[in-house]
Amino acid sequence: MTNAPHILVVDDELQIQRAIRTILTEKGFKVTTASRGEEGLALAATTEPDIVILDLGLPDMDGVEVCTRLREWTQIPIIILSVRDSERDKVSALDKGADDYLTKPFGVEELLARVRVALRHSAGRQGTQSKIIKAGQITIDLAWHVVKRGDEEVKLTATEYKLLAYLAGNHGRVLTHQSILMNVWDPADANHTEYLRVYMRQLRKKLEDDPEQPQYILTEPGIGYRFIVDE
Amino acid sequence: MNFINMQSSSLISRPYQYLLAFGFIALVTGFLFTLRDALDTALVALLYLIPLGLITAYWGLGPGVTSALTTFLTFNYFFIQPYYRLAVHRPTDVVILVIFLIVAIVISQLVGRMQAGLSAATAREREATLLYELSTALAGLHDRQTIASILAKQVQSVSQGEAVELQITGPQPFVFRLTEINPPARAPEWVVPIQMARGSLGEIRLWRATPAITSSEKRLLQTFASQGALALERARLAEAESRARVLEESDRLKSTLLSSVSHELRTPLSTIKAAASSLRSNDVHWDSAARPELIAAIDDEADHLNMLVGNLLDMSRIESGALKPKHEWNILPEIVGSVLKRMKHLAGEHRIQVDVPESLPLVPVDYVQMEQVLTNLVSNSIKYAPEKTVIQVKAGVESELLHVMVSNQGPQIPQEHLERIFDKFFRITAADRVTGTGLGLSICKGIIEAHGGRIWAENMPDGLAFHFTLPLIWEGVSPPKLPMDSENE
Repeated sequence: MTNAPHILVVDDELQIQRAIRTILTEKGFKVTTASRGEEGLALAATTEPDIVILDLGLPDMDGVEVCTRLREWTQIPIIILSVRDSERDKVSALDKGADDYLTKPFGVEELLARVRVALRHSAGRQGTQSKIIKAGQITIDLAWHVVKRGDEEVKLTATEYKLLAYLAGNHGRVLTHQSILMNVWDPADANHTEYLRVYMRQLRKKLEDDPEQPQYILTEPGIGYRFIVDE
Repeated sequence: MNFINMQSSSLISRPYQYLLAFGFIALVTGFLFTLRDALDTALVALLYLIPLGLITAYWGLGPGVTSALTTFLTFNYFFIQPYYRLAVHRPTDVVILVIFLIVAIVISQLVGRMQAGLSAATAREREATLLYELSTALAGLHDRQTIASILAKQVQSVSQGEAVELQITGPQPFVFRLTEINPPARAPEWVVPIQMARGSLGEIRLWRATPAITSSEKRLLQTFASQGALALERARLAEAESRARVLEESDRLKSTLLSSVSHELRTPLSTIKAAASSLRSNDVHWDSAARPELIAAIDDEADHLNMLVGNLLDMSRIESGALKPKHEWNILPEIVGSVLKRMKHLAGEHRIQVDVPESLPLVPVDYVQMEQVLTNLVSNSIKYAPEKTVIQVKAGVESELLHVMVSNQGPQIPQEHLERIFDKFFRITAADRVTGTGLGLSICKGIIEAHGGRIWAENMPDGLAFHFTLPLIWEGVSPPKLPMDSENE
């Protein structure tokens, strides 16, 4: 299995390391582990993993710092796995370049799902980015700016389309309120989460079967949104 | 000179009193002079004693004795032959003069001394009254601000100064002024320390340039200061006592909490331990039907344990005041929707009815915390209301407030417990019968109160309802109207 996806796990708790290694090896991944931030950074440079699973509370440096330093030279997906569950911690890690965030204790299914999303994302990043994105019965053609639900075209306003395109272009990733506001609106609007709430609601009404319980545009409470595409 | 004497007769200053005494004597001399031929010398001497007595009585010993000497001279000069010379020819006149002098001085002395004694007594009485008033006003006070205010008012009313300022030291030092006007820039004329044996509690500062502060005033102010010190000390002791009571209470609560928590933590732990150890041993065959059940038990109980730890953390954040809502303008139907989506698998046979109108304004709340409040209220309803009953979530706006109600058709709560169900670990049913942390509702209360709202429970004809209200205006801003783009493409 030479081309098995390679995952680097940086976590100082040996029990967690053991559990993740067992689970991921079982699923056919190649796993390398590190207990310290510096060690993790060195391994990331020498072994070129496909995904990094990173704990925030490391003995020698903060996980967010590791994130920042990784992002200086690589775009490999980073999944944060931490006991810190405050929105502030999550947002700061995501804003520093992490792709996803999972709180301990975590379910195996959830971890595997996040790993799969991250892998797809890194594949997309390396190859040519797909211009057509499908999620359930929704098709988004980023080249032609056309959004369809089933066979029917969905009429979106300019801002709605811009918002959807940004979400879909980063599908699978958790996008923080700030990053969405800065990319879709303007850096000056970074604090106007109410814009986001209202437009997101409009968008969901046009795209989702049940806007109260969305399937494609998911809310990450207190953090941001995530667009889910077909597995 | 006595302080009270100053108060009563100090309307006339001292040199002026002498001047008046002289004037009075001049007047009497003039009057007697017109009647000189009709009056006998001895009678004149007697008549002269009247103004002398009056002067001494009104203005004291000094003017009295001076007047006595003056009258002696005027008597001699105007009324004893040879007139207009300070000489005496008749031996009887010599006797009259000498007796007059002696009597005048003795009267002045006596009246003056009596007067001084009287005014001293009045002064003492007044001092005693003032002190009594002050100590009654201060009695039973435990608030240092009030004590300072009463003390300052009393000092001001006896001293009539330009400004009075109290500086109180201690755990929360403060400066008290009677009016908001700043005292004069110069140093205060008189500073009295408020002192107890164990140290200074502050000081009274008095500004009064004129008239200068007399020693008796100083003495009185010092007595005031020691009264103030006593009252402040009493307040401090009362405070210390109530603090000790609070500590004792919180200690008691903590041990209740510990015993409750360890019970709550051990229950899921023992399930996990039992399930895991039996899976490890060879008791359970690998294809036995018990296997998946044991595994599910481990999974569920681990989640339960995690929730419990989360709730405890939330509770400690609420109690330490670290729970600060991140106010953002949110859409309530979205929050309700996301909560219900997550609770779907827990709802079982319960029917959840939602009546949250789309037209609600944006609400200034912390998304995550509001989700938690709704989750706890709904899960509480699911837990206690029988299956197949209806749980209703309803929201509306009432006079600038958002009003949310979560009602169920579960058992009612005795009236006396309606408030207590929001207390930590309060349970009406035996703790063993319902799983949970006993913290859910108290966390709701903490969050709602941190948002500036109110939460309460109410018995309904067919069940129980939780209500909460939240202000729709945050930091003086009403829910924003949003700029929607109007283009349709």
